[in-house]
Amino acid sequence: MAKTVLLPDELVDVEVHVPTLTLYVQRFWDGLHNAARELYKSKTALIGALMLLVLLLLCLLTPYIARYDPIKQNYRELLQTPSAKHYFGTDRYGRDIWSRILWGGRRLLLISVLAVLVGLLVGIPLGTLSGYYGRWIDAFTMRVVDAWLAFPGILVYLLLATLVREWKLAGVWNDLALIFALGANQIPRLARLVRGTVLAEKEKEYVEACRAIGESSLYIPLREILPNCVSPVIVQATVSLGSTLLVIAALSFLGLGSPPPTPDWGSDLNLSRDHMESRPLIAIFPGLAISYAVLAFNLFGDGLRDILDPRMTDR
Amino acid sequence: MLAYTINRILYLIPVLFILTVVVFSFVHFLPGDVIDVLGGQEGVFDPAVRQALQQEYGLDKPLYVQYLVWLNRVLHGNFGTSLVTRRPIAIEFFQRIPATVYLALVSTAISLMIAVPLGTMAAVKRHTVVDYAAQVLSLVGISIPEFWFALLCVLFFALYLGWLPSSEYYSPLDHFGLSLKHMILPAAALGIRQAAITTRLTRSTMLDEVQKEYVDTARSLGLPERRVIYRYTLRNAMIPTITISGLQLAQLLGGTVVVETIFAWPGVGRTLFEAIISRDFPVIQAGVLILGIAVVVMNLLVDLLYRVLNPRVRLA
Repeated sequence: MAKTVLLPDELVDVEVHVPTLTLYVQRFWDGLHNAARELYKSKTALIGALMLLVLLLLCLLTPYIARYDPIKQNYRELLQTPSAKHYFGTDRYGRDIWSRILWGGRRLLLISVLAVLVGLLVGIPLGTLSGYYGRWIDAFTMRVVDAWLAFPGILVYLLLATLVREWKLAGVWNDLALIFALGANQIPRLARLVRGTVLAEKEKEYVEACRAIGESSLYIPLREILPNCVSPVIVQATVSLGSTLLVIAALSFLGLGSPPPTPDWGSDLNLSRDHMESRPLIAIFPGLAISYAVLAFNLFGDGLRDILDPRMTDR
Repeated sequence: MLAYTINRILYLIPVLFILTVVVFSFVHFLPGDVIDVLGGQEGVFDPAVRQALQQEYGLDKPLYVQYLVWLNRVLHGNFGTSLVTRRPIAIEFFQRIPATVYLALVSTAISLMIAVPLGTMAAVKRHTVVDYAAQVLSLVGISIPEFWFALLCVLFFALYLGWLPSSEYYSPLDHFGLSLKHMILPAAALGIRQAAITTRLTRSTMLDEVQKEYVDTARSLGLPERRVIYRYTLRNAMIPTITISGLQLAQLLGGTVVVETIFAWPGVGRTLFEAIISRDFPVIQAGVLILGIAVVVMNLLVDLLYRVLNPRVRLA
């Protein structure tokens, strides 16, 4: 008769893989390699990713490559043309444009990323829970979201900006108002997107399997279904980054952004209007910067869409 | 269809209500109130005078009563008086609407004239130079900020080449030729960017349409290719394009602020913007309200139009 019970001594040889930190790091690296290989599938994604990488590097290295203080005015060197000393020249107050663009870029990118993050943090759970639980929760949430979508969000920001100015608050409140208003603008779009995908995923067999195992009804949508719904959200988020950047630039161009000395691509363009005839280059550099950043986001988002979509139909 | 329309109109009501509440309450978050503003530099410090003024303007009543009074006035068309010009706001606003509408219509027309042929060609002649050029151009077009593009247009066409004027507005009803000349630059600046968005849309919808079975059927019937494309595919592909153009038009009506400012165009967006700069609160209130309503209503109309044009969605 075979032995059906193992004595304690015989159990010692069993090897158990305990997840250690190195395991997670290993998985992370593998994930990155996978991602990089996937990127090659689309030229647009590759170009977009490279452009974004350059952008990121410039942002991180700003304290080292921006040679002048972007706020300090220098009346001895007004409106200079690009030279070895000032790469992009100086503006009407003698500030180095290259430094202003670098510092302004940091701030703008940070605000856009935070705004989209706000949209993601609120929109995704909203859409997931609405789509999963269905019935009247879904109906009610979708009505609210539709009304939200119809509401012109920029007007809210305009009102908030006027309030900030009237209450004479510090500049950072203006940035917070931007983040809030623009994030709130993104939420309904993302919520609808997630809800649509969750509705489709909900009917698949693995969900039923999870329920059969006995996973709690909060666990299923958040840990099991959600990771499968992530692809269109990523694409939408990337493109939203681009459009948010454009909106912020337009608002500061009109003078509704942060108050004057803060380096900002939009308001720099506004300042350059007075000197367009003599120094057209001043009007070109900030605009070029905006276009470059938005183009990077759009290219990357487009490429991501190409990578993620055909792959999904293959599965 | 009728049920859906009524449903959507009912949706409008809470949105508009919230809009009015937000707009109304905004003024009340401002430090000081109307009386301080009216008092000007010296202010009004005498409490007796202050109380008399408050009673006269109805500011001593509870907030919701003030809101209802304001709403009542608005519904009767009285938007108050501008603090800067001291003239009734309603008249000034409605005087400027034609200019904005004119600009919005011409830009949308320009964008459609460029985008539809370009998008169709790109879809029909896939993977050729035309296709790649259209894709690249439209991608660049949506990445460029419209105010920068407008500035570049002014820089190039007005300052450098001196061909076109960069400001002033002439009504098309009065001097058609002059109005056209002054209109080209702002409308092109707006229209070209819109065209980029519409080109992508047209291209992708045409790509989808061309792959459908009825196209093969038409071709195997021996119909000339041109007829297949223009009479059948294009019409179906136009549905989403028209709706998106409608939405863009709605957006334009709500905010051509940037282009209007650059070209000194006397439109609604610029009026609102100048009111914000000069802190003319009654005008800000009226402007945000009117523009908000316009945008919401236009969105609704476009949505209904889409349902009318696309029977599949209507009967779903």
